[in-house]
Amino acid sequence: MAERKQWKWADDPSLNKMELTKLEKDGLDVIETIVNTYSKEGFQSIESSDMDRFKWAGVYQQRPKDGHFMMRVRIPGGILNSEQARVLAKIAEDYGRDLVDVTTRQAVQFHWLTVESLADIFERLASVGLSSFEACGDCPRTIMGNPLAGIDPHEVLDTRPLVNQLEKFFLLNREFSNLPRKYKISISANIHNAAHAQINDLAFTPAKKTIEGEEVIGFHVWVGGGLSAKPHLAKKLDVFCRPEEVVKVAEGVTTLFRDFGYRQKRTHARLKFLVADWGAEKFKEELIHLVGELETQGEDLLKGWNGGYFYGIHEQQQKGLYYAGLSVPVGRMNAGELVELARLADEYGDGTIGTCNTQNVLIRNIPQDRVAAFQAEPIIVNRFKLKPNTFVGYAVSCTGTEYCNLAIVETKERMRSLALYLDDTVTLDTPLRIHMIGCPNSCGQRQIADIGLQGALVKTPAGMVEAFDIHVGGTLEEAQFNRKLNARITVDMLGPFLAQLITLYKEDRLDGEQYWRYVERVGLEKIQAQVDSILQTA
Amino acid sequence: MAEEQAESFLYKLEAVLEGGRLLTAVVLAKSDERAFITAENNILRHTVAPPVIKELSLVEKKPIGRQGVGYVIETSRFE
Ligand code: HEM
Ligand code: SF4
Repeated sequence: MAERKQWKWADDPSLNKMELTKLEKDGLDVIETIVNTYSKEGFQSIESSDMDRFKWAGVYQQRPKDGHFMMRVRIPGGILNSEQARVLAKIAEDYGRDLVDVTTRQAVQFHWLTVESLADIFERLASVGLSSFEACGDCPRTIMGNPLAGIDPHEVLDTRPLVNQLEKFFLLNREFSNLPRKYKISISANIHNAAHAQINDLAFTPAKKTIEGEEVIGFHVWVGGGLSAKPHLAKKLDVFCRPEEVVKVAEGVTTLFRDFGYRQKRTHARLKFLVADWGAEKFKEELIHLVGELETQGEDLLKGWNGGYFYGIHEQQQKGLYYAGLSVPVGRMNAGELVELARLADEYGDGTIGTCNTQNVLIRNIPQDRVAAFQAEPIIVNRFKLKPNTFVGYAVSCTGTEYCNLAIVETKERMRSLALYLDDTVTLDTPLRIHMIGCPNSCGQRQIADIGLQGALVKTPAGMVEAFDIHVGGTLEEAQFNRKLNARITVDMLGPFLAQLITLYKEDRLDGEQYWRYVERVGLEKIQAQVDSILQTA
Repeated sequence: MAEEQAESFLYKLEAVLEGGRLLTAVVLAKSDERAFITAENNILRHTVAPPVIKELSLVEKKPIGRQGVGYVIETSRFE
């Protein structure tokens, strides 16, 4: 076991219980215990204090708590190679009941794992340079990025080396394995904010600045974003960060969080609370105090928001090469399909696959003369479509009661069938992003959706019925979270209700006006009136 | 020892009474079904004349494995 650290907060009498657990044994130490003990002696041998630490190994108990686990695997920057994809697929097949989920932070998630399988899974992941470590827990999680990095015509810099540096620096780094709470980093040089900067704890977005007569491409730095039950948009610091300063700045921000972040209450521990208290100005001063002088803000190169969607065949930076953005409805596939993706990546592309924060995937580097054959592949025609229908294509869902202990309602399968219903019922030629979540924790990022659906259970004469609260107008374009309407719609009504609401928008909107813009223009009261009239006639 | 299967949760439920009055109930229960029953019983106990509950919804649950779990509930202002 590694040497114990003497943290400066160790003697604080007001620490919460989880903090004491973390001081007793670092989260990362559980990995060794899992490999040497628990995976040999089984579920019943697990110490309850270690069950919390399992998250540092990237595993979490799933619902019902009967000895099965979910595991999240880090996909740094959302790019993996075909060999890695095959290993992931084999793990799902051998241990995970053939299930692979792409998550809203570009990770890959398994379910149904037993503790006996974990040692072997860790080894298999390591054999291809992958890891589940610190994919959950109070530490730096999967580093989000632009899955098109290096080929993106809309990027100002290839961020792949930076993602790798950040990943190398933070992964298994015991200086940062005991943070007050989870910690999410995103870095992207895509001018359309592909990596959802404003909802991460620390984010780097593209910027440029003329320094001593020379134009430098670098980043602006955002801190303190996050969703969950108390969502906050990140604040932009008045600094400009050169690419070679990214790791230093990330280390500085993370050190501030580690040493000054709140450890008294877990519900008040994310970086957003420190940033809210200090303000961006003081945060910048403290950062400079740690890492040395930084340039002040330059020119922001962010232009709008692509929502993290890349559907279709598009020309890359490299002339003659194309990438293909594919739809994976609500992010779920099976092992065989992932193997197919690996084959497509090898046969048509450069062997790499991108995972998107919209729970979708993409294939990179397809030569022009291979595009037609690629498009004709049965799995592209029938399953991972290049041009999905509007609602299936823009539906996101969390895990829900199927596997999640906090869920109040079923979500994933429901979102999938709801999207199919809407595609059958309403024709709409512009994207409309619908996100569904099963509880207020917002894993499915309900707040940034055009229409966000949050589950509740309603008691009716016929018993408990699942229902959804409706939130409208979320976006990261002119960043704002969606707002709740006064309507709790039971699931039998949800499809018809949304079809009517969307039809009213469709008839009333300006040409091509997106839903969040429409809500912004006509106002929440008008949308509420639409809702009331639909419910009255129902 | 591994955690027990029948874990308890602290539930948050919202009730709309006839006349539009809103109540929030927080109850401890081992299942969603029990949470509804417990909430209704508590609402009955809380009111003098038996209220007509027009709508009762379960909106959040938190596992009670850890000290300090709770809810903040917005109430009406007294002016
Ligand atoms: C067993 C399943 C899961 C459980 C128990 C769980 C639990 C949670 C909890 C408690 C939070 C709130 C954290 C906070 O207060 O900061 C949260 C947030 C979140 N989770 Fe999950 N989660 C699960 C699965 C997932 C999945 C499948 C995804 C991805 C599709 C996901 C992605 C996220 C994201 C993006 C957030 C928002 C965090 C933020 O930005 O602040 N989670 N989750
Ligand atoms: S939003 Fe709630 S229900 Fe959905 S996966 Fe997250 S914690 Fe579970």
